[in-house]
Order: sequence, then C-alpha cells, then structure tokens
Amino acid sequence: MSKQYLTLHTIDDAHPSDIFALAPTSTQVLSASGSSSIRIYSTTDPEFPLVQTLEGAHPLGIHHLATAKESPKAASAGFEGKVKAWGSDESGEWRLEGEIVDQNKPGDVWAIALSADGQYLASSSINGKVNVWSLNKAEGFPKIREYETKGSFGLCVDLSQDGRFTASGHENGSIYVFNNDTGRLSHSLAGLVSPIRTVSFSPASKLLAAAGDARIIALYDVNSGEQVANFTGHSGWVLTLDWSATGEYLLSGSHDSKAKVWRIETRSCVATHSHGDKPLWTAKWLPRNVRSEMFALGGGNNAISFYREAAG
Amino acid sequence: MDFKDLNDMLFSNSSSQESYASAWDDQLLEEDLLDEAMEDELILWDPEDSPVLTPATSGQDTDSYLPSHVTETDGEEILLTSSDSTCGVRDKNWVVARVGEFLERIVDALVENSGQLSIILKTRSGITRRKTEYTDQNGLMPVPKTMEITFPGGTTQEAWKFTVLVRILELIHKCLIDDVTMTKRDIYYRHPNLFLKQSVVDRYVDDIACTLSISRSQLNVTAAAKGLVAGNFTIWRPDGTEVNGLHEKEGILIPKIQASDTLNLSSVHWILIIEKEATFHSLLSSVPWNFMSSQGVAMTAKGYPDLASRRFLRQLSDHSPHIPIFAFVDFDPDGIAIMLTYMYGSYRLAHENVTHTGLPALNLPDLRWLGVKTHHICHTSATESITERGTLADTQGLMRLTARDRKKATQMLEWDLCKEDNPQPKWRTELQAMLVLNIKAEMQILETRPGGIATWLSKQIEVQQDPALGKDGAALYPFQPSSDDGLLF
Repeated sequence: MSKQYLTLHTIDDAHPSDIFALAPTSTQVLSASGSSSIRIYSTTDPEFPLVQTLEGAHPLGIHHLATAKESPKAASAGFEGKVKAWGSDESGEWRLEGEIVDQNKPGDVWAIALSADGQYLASSSINGKVNVWSLNKAEGFPKIREYETKGSFGLCVDLSQDGRFTASGHENGSIYVFNNDTGRLSHSLAGLVSPIRTVSFSPASKLLAAAGDARIIALYDVNSGEQVANFTGHSGWVLTLDWSATGEYLLSGSHDSKAKVWRIETRSCVATHSHGDKPLWTAKWLPRNVRSEMFALGGGNNAISFYREAAG
Repeated sequence: MDFKDLNDMLFSNSSSQESYASAWDDQLLEEDLLDEAMEDELILWDPEDSPVLTPATSGQDTDSYLPSHVTETDGEEILLTSSDSTCGVRDKNWVVARVGEFLERIVDALVENSGQLSIILKTRSGITRRKTEYTDQNGLMPVPKTMEITFPGGTTQEAWKFTVLVRILELIHKCLIDDVTMTKRDIYYRHPNLFLKQSVVDRYVDDIACTLSISRSQLNVTAAAKGLVAGNFTIWRPDGTEVNGLHEKEGILIPKIQASDTLNLSSVHWILIIEKEATFHSLLSSVPWNFMSSQGVAMTAKGYPDLASRRFLRQLSDHSPHIPIFAFVDFDPDGIAIMLTYMYGSYRLAHENVTHTGLPALNLPDLRWLGVKTHHICHTSATESITERGTLADTQGLMRLTARDRKKATQMLEWDLCKEDNPQPKWRTELQAMLVLNIKAEMQILETRPGGIATWLSKQIEVQQDPALGKDGAALYPFQPSSDDGLLF
C-alpha cells in the first residue's frame, strides 16, 4: 500500500550551495547551507517567499540547524566551530540570542538538537563527547550534562521531546541513549558497525530511529534498548530521519538523493521521491496545519522542495 | 603534521616543494626545525672546516668576512632593493647590476670598518593565505614581511645567516655573469656543511628573489626537476637533439623548454596532471595508455608542484592555449590545495608569478578538476549496495579525516579562493561535504572501477572535452566509442 505525495513547490537556488539543514516552525522553515547565512521561508504562503535572511551567521558555512517544536527557538552550528542560539518574536522575526561559549573549543561541537520547549540544547562532538546545555540566557547558557563515550566522532544527536533522553550516533557505529534526569547512560544500542549519520526520537519518546552508511534504518525501544525493526530499501547512505507529528510515519533521506516515507505500523516503505541527483542532506516534516501532511527536502542541488500528501 | 610531511620537508630534494600555505603548525614546525638545526649543528660546524668563502668574481680578501676585522661603530643599512620600485625592465643586466652592487657594498662596508652591517631581506615564507592582512589592496599578491640580518650579529646564528646569504649571493652573481643556470640542489652541494640542509638554500634563494621582486629563474637558479611527464609531444633543440615524451616507457623528467626550442604539440588534445607518482606510473603501465598516449600528455609533480613543473605546463599552455588541462587529485584537503597551487601558485612564492609585463607567469586558472569528487565516491558506493556487511572504510578505500585534515579543510575555507563569494564555489562545496561526511579518498579508490583508473580517466576526459572532440573530429579511444565518430569501428 503506497501513499501519494505531490510536489507542491520548489524553491530553486534557495541557497548558493549545498543545503545541509532544514528546520521548520509552525509557519516557517529555516534553512542552512554551505553559505554563511540562514534563510527563512514562509510556509503559510503558497509561493513560499523568503521572509528573512540572517546574514553572516557563520562565515565558513553552517552544517547543523535545529528548531524547537513548541517554542520559537533555533540553534545553528557552523564550520568555524561556533554554536549560536536564535529566537523569534510574535511577528516571526528572528534575532541572535547568544553564543554558547562555555569551554568548547572550535570544532568541539558538531551536531545539535533542541528540546521541544527550546530550553535545552544537546550536542555531539568530534571527540565523542555528548553535552547538554541550558539555553537560559540569564545564566549564560551553562552546560548541565556531559556524557563521555568511547571517543568516536559523534555525527548526530537528538533530544527526546519530553527532554528526558539524549541519543547520539557515532562514526564507529555506536548508538548511545542517555538519561538526562540521572545523567547516566541508559543504553548502548547494538550498532550497525558503519557510521551512524542520523538519530531521531519518536514524538512520544518511545522509539529511536537510527541510520547511516549501512543503508538500514533501525528502530529501537528507548526503554528496553531492544531493536524492534529494520527498514531496508535505501541504496545510498542514510543521512537524515524525521518522524511525522503523530509518529505514524518516518521520513528518510539518502546520499543518493532519494527520500522515502515509511509506515511504522506495517514497517513498510510507502513512498519514494527523488530530489535531483545530489546528496539529500535534510528531510523534514512540516508541523501539521490546516493543510494536509507536508514535508520538505533539501540537499546538494541547492533547492528546497515541498511535498504534500495527495488528497483522498 | 605527520611524519611524511616532515620527511618531505627535510629530505625531498625538492625544496622546490611549494607548500601551499600549509597549516600553521607545519610552518611553526618548519621554523622550529630550522632554528633547531642551526643551533644543534652550529656546534658541529667548525669554521675551520668551512669552505673558503672566495668571492667568485671579485677576488676580494676573504678574511674581510670575519668579524674580527670589524669594529662596532655606527651601523649601516644595506637595502637589496633599489629605491625606485617603479623602474621599468628588470632584465638580466639589471639583476646582475643589483647583485653585484650589493656585494660591493658589503665588501666596502667591511673594509672600511664602518660598523654594524644590516641587510634587509623581504620574505614570504611563513605567510599563509589565511592572514588576509598581508594581501595588498588589489588582492593580487601578499605583502612580504621583512627580515633583518645584521653583521656582526649578536649570536653565532646571525653570523651564520649572514655567511649563508653572502655565499648564495656570490654563487648567483657568478651564475649570472657566466650565464649558466644552477639548480638549488647544486647550490646546496657546494657547501653542504655550511648550508646544513636544502631548505636553508631554498629559503634564501626565494627571499633574494622576493626582495628584488623578480622570479627565481631570473637569478639563473632553478629547482631540480622532480616532475615526470609522458605523452605525444616533441621538443626540438637548436643543436638538433630531440626530446620526445613517448621515448621512455616510464616517463621523462620534466624538460626545460628554452626560448630557442621548437615545441610540437599538434597531436596533443589534453594535458592531465596527476597528483601522485604511483598513479602516474599505474596509468603509464595500463593498456588504455597505449591509445591515450598518442593523444595527450600526462604529468606528475609528485605532490605539491615545483616551479619547474608549473613553468613547463605554463609553456605548453602558452604554446597551445586551446588544449584543456585537467587535474586528477585525491579527495582530501591536500588534493584540493595541490590543485589550487597549480592554478594560482604558491602564496609564499608569489614573486614567481610576475613577468616583465606584470602578467601572471605560471598560473593555470583554466585548469579543470577531473576528480576525485564526492559524487565519484558516491557512485562507487552505490554499485556496492549489496555489500551490507563490513564498513565502507574497509571495503571501498574510503578513509576518515584525521584531525589534521579537518583542521586544514577548515583553514582552507577561510582562504579567499574558498570564500562563498568566489565565483567558483566548487572547492568550498567539496571541502564542506568532506567535513560533513568526515571522509576522504585517494585516487586509487577508482581503481576498483571496471577497467581501472585509466579507463575511468579516459572516459572522464572524453566527457569533459566532448564539444571540442565533436568540433575538430579528433579520434576517440577505441574502448570508448562515441556517437560522433563511428568510423574507427
């Protein structure tokens, strides 16, 4: 049983170079690329116009960008090694709130993730450390958790929506789940041997999806640490994963430019789309509004494409 | 910095090796080594053993170089440069006059016991692309630093520096007057125990050229050729000898092309630069090369190119500007930096890029990047999608970036050439993809393709120059028939 998704709109040349990250809010999608600026497009207008550009956010380019699900907060990480926190007001205008400067040297922070309420930021790093910071500006963004791993490059990180768990995926295939309440390792998950490039908690924080160069998407039970499913079908490295708001579907994107939608209930792929012939770095569901379910793809072709579920 | 670099730096005869604004730590280490070597070995270097410092042309009193003859009074400063920087032609006579005059003034100063001598040299060593403040307003050439060498100096090291400089100037002066060309290696071997190591000579020669704002070849000093070349080209010398790129199965040392030579490139449809010698040899010993060699030229400078290799390429390009030149380098930060060195030269040797008319002399800005790029690696992996077991690093020759690679890539992102407003953003894009995926790959990764690297290269070259092929109807390789030309088969 397959599902139909139609191309709603494509923003060509959304960025002058590879789009590494998309981060949606309820009315906008923030986008980051190898260029220095963050560009923000409106998702409430059928033309998806550019509404704001944060110029010179990271001079050497931006590799990670995240937004909080329930709060107007965002964070970006650049190739020069800095992490910046952003906030927006009622009008949807974004501004810099500050930089995380606590102890981290350039290059120490790689992937980033925000909790749903925007109060916490988790980061992975090249030396394998996983950190959690409070985004409390008055307190100067203090580091509140520091997790040691075996030192393999942490390529990806995620925070569960309830803020209880941090998960990290590493170059040596390790996947760790940490309990933020206790500050301890909950599970070291049976890995996929090859680099893990993306990890993502389900909205209810019960499942963790992880994937990477093995081209397999693995589902784990967060509480037990058991692997509960395997999705196979991608022929390129899997670079990005995102759960739909209801947790029914999982969106994946691969280095061979293919995006797939998986139905969790049946453990099957229900749709495949191609985003040009360049790596698909990022694939994100948009928060469900009045319209039908939508997702956005961004990658090496410098374009952002929006898809929506076909009616019926 | 790994051992290989260290090794290259210390022992490659190259010297001519132009490191393209390599990472800071490299430079720092280089400086350290230089100083260390000086300090360690100066003790060993007994002035008694040192070669007699005979001025080659003037026959001055050699003793005058010894500090005992000089009493400290008022200092004198000798500037190697002429004050009128606007002077027109810096031809050979001008250079001879400058160097000669300079030597004379040193001798005069010493004979007159006029006190402390101070020589101002300009240097570009130790400048990186990163420090943009060294770039002049036009962004064309980095502004050199100045270095002062005094005599008698406060330390044995300063005395040694002065001796080295004067000795090199003498040798250069003699070369210019006799109209012979010396290699930097020759200079070093004249007095190995004075110069201690090749890089000392390299540095002073480059600094002298930099100070005079001329290219090193105008001092009649060349690098020892380290590059290899093969292919269907011929150079006819006035004395009747002939250099043919197909004569040696293993390739020939990069020849020097003189103005009086006649160059024949009529059969050459492409020129291919290969980063590494091993890959160059592997291409030359492959079956497809038998066909490819009749149509093109392959060369390698074994890593970062020396001036001799760059000059040779530039001469071919000047002779036949329509021949496309391709670069085949590793997919890693050094591979891209090597390609950029062929294209835009070494930042530290920017004075080499100036001709009498002020036009860049050695750059190859039209160089085309053949590979290896991310999508080549991606395709490799796609073909092996069945192999689900084992890591990619094991099965496909992909490697993880080292800390040094990541540092170098990040530094390169700061170079003007890789800035986001650069009209050719592809280097930036590839460097970023490298950092995000944390992978690199050597050229050999393509050896796993059907037919190996040689077949891959010939196909890539064909694709790249397809329009040209269509136009002039050049023959195609038998194993890559194209729709344009079915006549051969």
